[in-house]
Amino acid sequence: MSGAAVAVEGLTHTYESRSGSLTVLDGVDLHVDAGAVVAITGASGAGKSTLLCLLGALDRPQQGSVVIDGHDLSRATRDELADFRRVTVGFVFQHFGLLDTLTAAENVGLACTLSGVGARRGRARAEALLDAVGLAGRMDHTPPRLSGGERQRVAIARALANQPRLVLADEPTGNLDADATDRVMDLLWSLPADHGCTVILVTHDRQLAARAEQSFHLTQGRLLLRAATS
Amino acid sequence: MSWRAAVVLAFKGLRRRPGRAALTVLAVTLAASLLTALLTIAGSAETRVLNELSKGGPLAGIKVAAARPDPAQIGRDDARPGEPKDLDETALATIRSLPDVRDVVPVVATRLLVISTANDADGNRLEPFLETAVGVDVAQSTTLPISVVAGRLPVDGVLTEVAVTEGYLERVGLTRVDAQQVVGMELALGAAQAFARNDQIRARGRWHRAQIVGVVAQEAADGQLLVPNEMVEVAREWTNAGLPDEELGYDTSPYAGLFVVADGLDNVGRVRTEITAVGYSTSAPENLIASVRRYLHVVEIVLTAIGLIALVVAAIGIANAMLAAVRERRREIGVLKAIGARDRDVLRVFLVEAAVLGFVGGILGALGGWLIARAVGGVVNGYLSDQGLVSVQLVFPVWVLAGAVLGSTFLAAAAGTLPAVRAARLPAREAVGAV
Repeated sequence: MSGAAVAVEGLTHTYESRSGSLTVLDGVDLHVDAGAVVAITGASGAGKSTLLCLLGALDRPQQGSVVIDGHDLSRATRDELADFRRVTVGFVFQHFGLLDTLTAAENVGLACTLSGVGARRGRARAEALLDAVGLAGRMDHTPPRLSGGERQRVAIARALANQPRLVLADEPTGNLDADATDRVMDLLWSLPADHGCTVILVTHDRQLAARAEQSFHLTQGRLLLRAATS
Repeated sequence: MSWRAAVVLAFKGLRRRPGRAALTVLAVTLAASLLTALLTIAGSAETRVLNELSKGGPLAGIKVAAARPDPAQIGRDDARPGEPKDLDETALATIRSLPDVRDVVPVVATRLLVISTANDADGNRLEPFLETAVGVDVAQSTTLPISVVAGRLPVDGVLTEVAVTEGYLERVGLTRVDAQQVVGMELALGAAQAFARNDQIRARGRWHRAQIVGVVAQEAADGQLLVPNEMVEVAREWTNAGLPDEELGYDTSPYAGLFVVADGLDNVGRVRTEITAVGYSTSAPENLIASVRRYLHVVEIVLTAIGLIALVVAAIGIANAMLAAVRERRREIGVLKAIGARDRDVLRVFLVEAAVLGFVGGILGALGGWLIARAVGGVVNGYLSDQGLVSVQLVFPVWVLAGAVLGSTFLAAAAGTLPAVRAARLPAREAVGAV
C-alpha cells in the first residue's frame, strides 16, 4: 500500500462572527507526494489546524479544492466525508483525543470497529498496534493512568487502526517532554516506511519541522515553502 | 458502528459522570415507582370493589328466579320477580343452550326450622325460626356470588355442616367483625311436613344437627343458611311428601333459581333479554357495575396522568442531563467523527445512553412501585381487618410493570432525541477544538 497524494488548489477559508469575518486561509496551494513526510509551521491562529481539518475531511472547503488520491472533498456529502475519514485518514491530536473511559486497547479497538473490523479481530489488531508502539504492557490502562508520551503513542496506534493512507498530526508533541517528543517523532517518521502512508504534520516547533522532507510556513493565510530536503 | 459498540460506548459515557447518571436514574425510578404504585393500587381497588359488588362471583353473573318476569321490572338490576313458575330440567337445558351463556349453576332452596343455642340482640334465648336454606354445589362456589367472611364453606355431601349469612349474625345481635364467634356453634335444623289429622292440618319435622363452619356473604338466593345441595334435597323430599304448604317449604319447582354467567359483561343485557323471552325473571347488577367501572376508569385515568406527569418531568431531567453531556463531550464527539463515526453512529450512542437511563430507572421504579403498593396494601388491609371487612388481594400487575419499564425506556429515548440529534450534528472539526 502506498501513501495518498494530496493536491490543494486555491483553498480559502473564512470564519464569520458578529465582530466580522476572519480569513485564515487565502488561496492556499499545496502538493504532497504519496509517502512523503511534510511539516507545516506557523504562529498560533495562523490557520494550521483549519488547514488540517480541511485536509482530513473534518470540514468542507468553502473555496478552492482539496483532492486526495483523486477524491475531491469539496463536493462530498457529510456521510462521504465520514467514509473518507474512516477509510483514508488517521488523526493524531495535540490533546491526544483518547476516550478516558476506554482502555488503551479499547480506544484503538474502537477505531478498528468503526472501520468495519469485528470485535475479536479488532482487539487483536489493537494489541498488535500497541505492541508496535511499545505499549504491550499498557493495553488495559485507561488514558489517565498513562504518561503524555504513552497517550500519544496510543493515539498513533489508533490513527493506524484503519490502515490509513494519510496520517495528519496536529501538534503531536505539543504536550510532551523532550524524551517523549523524540520517541513520538521517531514513530511518526517511520510511518511511511513501516505503514506506507503519507504524513502531514502541523507544528510550531521549527526544529521538528526541519526533519521533514518538505516544510511549509503558514502566514497571513498563505503557505510558503520553507525547505525541501530531497 | 455496531449496536454492541454503541452500547459499550453509551455505558462508558454514563460512567464519566456517575453522580449525574445516578441522579437521573433516581428521578426516573421515582416517577416509574409512582406510576406503578398508583396503577397497581387502582387495579387492585377496582378488583376489590367489583368483587364486593358481585359478592365474589363473576361480574357477568345473572340471577334467574323460579318466577315469571314482571313486565314493569324488566331490565332493572334488582328486578322483583312476578308469579312463581317452576324451574325444571327443561328450562335449565333451554337457558344453558342460549347464545352468550358461558355457565349455568342451579340453586336449590327449602325452608327449615332452626333452633339455635345463641341469644338474640337483647340477650334473650333466640326463638326457633323458619329460614330458607340455600343449597349449592359447593365445588362450583367460585362461579357463584359467594364470599367467605369467616371460617369456610361446608363440604359437599356433608349433611352436618352449614354456613350462615350476615342476616343470621344480625339475628343473634352480632356484626361482621364478630363473625368468627358463631363459627363452631351448633344448630338443630328441622325439615317441616304438613299432614292432616282429625281434619286439622298439622306439621311435623325431621331433625338433625349441624355445625356452623363459616360465615358468608352470598347473593345466590335469598336465605340465611348456605348448605350443600344434598341437605336441601333430603329436606325437600320430606317436605314435598306432605300436604302442600308453602309456608313450610312445599315447592314444586325443582330449582329455586339459577345463576347464569354471561360470556362477558357486555353480553349480560342480551342474555337477560333472552332468558326473559324464555319466561323467567332475572336480576343482575349490570347497571351498577357499569357505572362503578366508569367511575373507576376515570380514577384510573387521573392516576395514570399523575404518574405520566412525573415520568415526563423525569424525561425532562434526562434531556437536561444529556444536553449537559453533549456540551461537555463536544471534543470527544469530534474525535469519534474524526476516526470515522457517522452522524447516525453518534446519534445511536446518545440515544442508547438515554434509553439505558430510562430502562434502569424503569426496572428499579417498577420494583419500587410494587413494593410501595404492597406496603400500602398492608396498611389498607390492617384497616379493613379492623373493620371486619375482606382484605384487598394485591394483583401482580404484569402489564403495569412491563409498561413502566417499556414506557420509561421509550420516554427516555424520546427525551434523549434532541440532545442526540444535536450531538450527531456537531461538526467533526470539534475534534481539534474550537478553530
